[in-house]
Amino acid sequence: MNPSLSCRSDLKTVFLIFFLLLIFTGCSQHDAETGISNDGSGTAAVDPGEADPDEDPLAEPGGEEDLLGEEGDDDLDEFDEFEDEFGDATANEVSDPLEGYNRVMTSFNDKLYFWVLKPVATGYKWLVPEMVRSGIANFFHNLLYPVRFVNNVLQLKFGNAGEETIRFLYNTTFGLLGVWDPGKEWLELDPHEEDFGQTLGYWGVGAGPHIVLPILGPSNLRDTFSLYPDNFVLDPKAYYVEGTERKVGVFAFEKVNDTSFRLGQYESIKKDAVDFYIFLRDGYEQIRIKEIKE
Amino acid sequence: MKQIIAVFLSCALLLAQPVMADELTKVRNIVDKNVKIFIGYVADKNMDKEVKKQKLIETIEPFFDFQTMALICLVKKHRKELSKVKGRRQEFVDVFVKRLQDSYLEKMDLYTDETVEVGEAKKVKKNIHVVTNLVGKDGKIEIIYKFRKTKKGWLVYDLEILGVSIVQTYRSQFASFLKNNTIEDLLVSLKTTDTFKMPEDKKQ
Repeated sequence: MNPSLSCRSDLKTVFLIFFLLLIFTGCSQHDAETGISNDGSGTAAVDPGEADPDEDPLAEPGGEEDLLGEEGDDDLDEFDEFEDEFGDATANEVSDPLEGYNRVMTSFNDKLYFWVLKPVATGYKWLVPEMVRSGIANFFHNLLYPVRFVNNVLQLKFGNAGEETIRFLYNTTFGLLGVWDPGKEWLELDPHEEDFGQTLGYWGVGAGPHIVLPILGPSNLRDTFSLYPDNFVLDPKAYYVEGTERKVGVFAFEKVNDTSFRLGQYESIKKDAVDFYIFLRDGYEQIRIKEIKE
Repeated sequence: MKQIIAVFLSCALLLAQPVMADELTKVRNIVDKNVKIFIGYVADKNMDKEVKKQKLIETIEPFFDFQTMALICLVKKHRKELSKVKGRRQEFVDVFVKRLQDSYLEKMDLYTDETVEVGEAKKVKKNIHVVTNLVGKDGKIEIIYKFRKTKKGWLVYDLEILGVSIVQTYRSQFASFLKNNTIEDLLVSLKTTDTFKMPEDKKQ
């Protein structure tokens, strides 16, 4: 999979599972009806709103005052501690001198999705069974082994590079050219996704200004530059797929196949956003920071 | 005298360690134990969808620190501005919480067969983070639950998924929105959510 697409897919996945997290967290606290306490002991059934401090060693004495009991500045002071953790969002911490262009391109990509990609992927999904689409996705992912291997090595992650090699050998042979994934099924080896943007970040190169790319979506200067080594040097398709038209065709096919697994997700995250562009921009940049740290 | 103080401090440190370890274990257990309850609710295909949502909300509300979460999604100056009009702060919290709950609970059908691995609990400044992994057929997704000690005990004030903080993301959006709009505009925007309908076929 194209690294940029991979990042974007992750981004979508992230926002898709937000609901799970909220529920997890809620359920992680207490289930009054089942009588399982929030301390995990499974013994006490306590109304969450009437928790007895004696039964909760972590609860501080002093009552259950609502944090928002009275409106005024004084009771807001306790939230100031979070300013350090989350920073000053008004200061535009993500470098974005191209915001005007980026918003236009986000709108363009949005139209492209609804007018072209979604209808085509919907029809494709209806025609092609999931098993076949999964096999195609696995095949393309396996092809990008050189991208993952080289970037793992460049980040001195030799163990991961070794696992990638074992996965590639297994998947290419027993997995019928990567259509199946015995590396994961048999050996329980997960892929180690690394791209050149992460490699540059690992060695201290900053993200640079945020850039929304046509079709590919959110990116930044560093990651845009990194598309070249990943896609035109390390990707085998650059050598074995001849001619621009065929390259575009393969890219489009891969994109449609990938989208067929994610129909509805884009609409979902768009619906949840107050400012969709900022939502995508910050989500992308936060994910990249996390990926580089790992 | 110095020796006495040194001995006293050493004892205090030694005593503090088990207390912190106990708190870490306690908070980790909150996540560990109740993920199973969650799985039970969501995987129950026979439970009426609306009943299931209601049960989940009732379970969430007392322990999820939605109010703090809502307020820290605004930067300090916007929080103060919010409080200038009586009742507006609570209105913002109510609208924000309802939006979050509606938004995410409606996606409950996206759950298939994911499981959760609960990792370690870590002390981060005054807070505790519990690292978990959501394991599905597409791989693992790291989720960090950020707990904060309040008068009601340890409550979650933020979630981080693959490095993306819910609070951080909303802070950026709200700050951007409020550059050219008022708090009242934000409230209207938060109330207007249903611009897109989910497609009929949500499962992939």
